[in-house]
Amino acid sequence: MQPTSRYNYYEILEVAAGAPQHEVTTAYERARATYSGENIAIYTIFSDQEARELLVLIEEAYQVLGNKILRNIYDQRLLSGRSSLNDLTYASVLEASKQVFPEPKPEKTKDPVYKKDAAFEAEISARNDWTGADLKKVREYKQLTPQRLSEITKINSYYVTAIENMDAANLPVVVFVRGYVVQIAKALGLDDKKVADSYMKNFKGLGK
Amino acid sequence: MERDLQKAYLESLESQTSTSEDKNAKIWVVASGKGGVGKTFVSSSLAITLSKFGHSVIVVDLDLSGANVHTSLGLKPSHMNIRHYFEGVKTLQELVIPTPFPQLSYVQGFWDSWTPTDFSYAQIQGLIPQLKSLRANYVIVDLGAGALEPHLELFKAADEKFLVTTPEPTSVEKTYRFIEAYVCHALKADATPDAYSNMISTLRNHRQRTLQKPFSFRSFLKDQNGLNYDFFEALSSKPVRLVMNSSRSQTNADLGHSIKSVCNKYYDLGIDYVGPVNYDNAVWQSIRNHEHVLVAQPFTPIAGQFWSTCKQLIDPEELRAVV
Repeated sequence: MQPTSRYNYYEILEVAAGAPQHEVTTAYERARATYSGENIAIYTIFSDQEARELLVLIEEAYQVLGNKILRNIYDQRLLSGRSSLNDLTYASVLEASKQVFPEPKPEKTKDPVYKKDAAFEAEISARNDWTGADLKKVREYKQLTPQRLSEITKINSYYVTAIENMDAANLPVVVFVRGYVVQIAKALGLDDKKVADSYMKNFKGLGK
Repeated sequence: MERDLQKAYLESLESQTSTSEDKNAKIWVVASGKGGVGKTFVSSSLAITLSKFGHSVIVVDLDLSGANVHTSLGLKPSHMNIRHYFEGVKTLQELVIPTPFPQLSYVQGFWDSWTPTDFSYAQIQGLIPQLKSLRANYVIVDLGAGALEPHLELFKAADEKFLVTTPEPTSVEKTYRFIEAYVCHALKADATPDAYSNMISTLRNHRQRTLQKPFSFRSFLKDQNGLNYDFFEALSSKPVRLVMNSSRSQTNADLGHSIKSVCNKYYDLGIDYVGPVNYDNAVWQSIRNHEHVLVAQPFTPIAGQFWSTCKQLIDPEELRAVV
């Protein structure tokens, strides 16, 4: 589907091209309410599939118009008439914004090199029973701080520590915990399924 | 009592004719796709609100199946009704009956007829100039339900077109059907037969989703010969005004915005959403007491909603915030 082939983003959100930001947001919220869920208004006019397609357009339009920088770029191109609507896609606007505001290059922090210990590695791969303390041991062996592990896994370092302590009171509900353990195990280069299964068995056992 | 009213009304007419003789009345038509959504309530409320602003208003009851304007205003039905006009006995102006409310009078709908009645397309076309020449600032026409051709013709001729709906799926569906019928009817008048049947089949394909996407009704009309594209533009610039009656929640009120958006996306047709009219038990309670709710309780949210609707249409400047 070529979403932006005919209507511009203002037409999609049904606002005037010079509309202030709060009107754009209101229009977006109304449009989203209209085409998502079972709104009575689309009954007998649009099928579910069509409503979903419209919703994609609406979200795309708001990605641009809801963002001051992207909207500026879009406005300049739309109003100057330099770009046809077919060229004026979300990707092209985003690309242009990167030229105006180059993204800071993420600093490459080299993870510290740890000393290989063949005996410990063998013990890890053989281990079938995993607890928080074991995860901590592996993490320390790989010379990672909880903060660094949190950066890799995008899990709050607070939870990383809580998982290592198997501290249920400071953790969310069980399904999330399992997800966290899987992430941590992957980051530490472990067999995530085996670790998570065993960890969760131990974790649930604690509560009893 | 009634005779006094009639006398006072005639006197007020005398004074009016001297000031504004050549001015045509503005016609506001209230219609709906489905019955029982509150057309009569909306038209009588608009009339009372306009008359409170000091304009002279005549409500004309053209609802054949359920003439109810008199009941809604808390009055007894009169024998002097619109049947006399259709039978050619009286002119429309002679049928205007004053009410106890200042500046407000009405034309009684059919109620004493024992034979089924209907009005034809030709009769409506004769009626439109009569409505315009009524001696009042505003003439509010209460139509029957459904998208019948005479209704659509009158709707087309109106200065302001109100379409009443409620938040029920049944009513919303019929509202779309009414809008579709109205658009087709309005375009038919100036279209060549070939172009018109082509348009209908395109719309059918649009509905059955056999057209190439994205389809725009507006650009389709623009490309066609024999169809009056300017008229379609005029439909958007003098839009149908949607009223969401018996709204019970914010979701109900927002439904009007959704309907507006759907019309825009599906037909490229701009309609206007006037706003919600809240559900209020006082409405049916006051009808039981033979009193209009805006008279019995003039300071409720409903009254405010009609107030701002009328203000917005006749005097938008006054609503503008002082910055």
